[in-house]
Amino acid sequence: MRFMLTLVGPEGGYEDITPDQIKDEMRNWEAFGKEATDAGAFVAGEGLQPTETAKTVRGGRDEEKVVTDGPFAETKEQVGGFYVLECKDMDEALEWAKRCPIRDGAIEVRPVMDYAEYGFEDPAEAGATPSPS
Amino acid sequence: MMYVLALISEEGGMEDATPEEMKAVMDQWDSFTKKSVDDGSFIAGEALQPTESASTVRIKQGEEAVVSDGPFAESKEQLGGFYLLECKDLDEALEYAKQIPFQDGWVEVRPVMDFTELGYQSYSPGPVKAAA
Repeated sequence: MRFMLTLVGPEGGYEDITPDQIKDEMRNWEAFGKEATDAGAFVAGEGLQPTETAKTVRGGRDEEKVVTDGPFAETKEQVGGFYVLECKDMDEALEWAKRCPIRDGAIEVRPVMDYAEYGFEDPAEAGATPSPS
Repeated sequence: MMYVLALISEEGGMEDATPEEMKAVMDQWDSFTKKSVDDGSFIAGEALQPTESASTVRIKQGEEAVVSDGPFAESKEQLGGFYLLECKDLDEALEYAKQIPFQDGWVEVRPVMDFTELGYQSYSPGPVKAAA
């Protein structure tokens, strides 16, 4: 079963950081990503650029889409990244979340939908093959 | 460049859908996903289960992690899913966002961080190749 770990926290905090501190931080994230990969749990995961790079598209079906600058919510806490991990259950997903090297923030953990009963498969599992990045 | 399309909407609304209506909606999402796979853009994408299935882990360095039930934010609009797409630029990512078969919602589009200059590679796979 797949779980999405959404990393949420206050933006910034790295403006005054030294190169050595960045290296330490990155090493922690690298170790977490590598461990999840080695465990066969890692499906995808990325850090997002700051919300000043965000655009938001508003619109329903049959409506004209409107593009605005900025993230969906102008809140202090923002999504900073995510992981999708293959775990046997919620407890295992929570164990990964607890070990995530976030400094100060929260991780929302949710199982993903399974549409197999409707006859829809994940493209990654429907004969399509992941290519090396 | 990889872009995340975060899909945000009010939860629910499909409870009273008939199987036919459900299939019609699913077909639209399926064809969006298929198109992005055929274009060579699709890396990953998932729909999330309702926020009642969520747990949230609060983390502060030096303190014990605290797990609570429910999503991070108790807001009316919630993250319902995402796509991770390889696009040549923001405009291409926005074109995909405009084609998302939402009944009603928002798509937040953001580029992912590139840590290659620090010597770190993304662990995400590249775009999936369409089945022959």
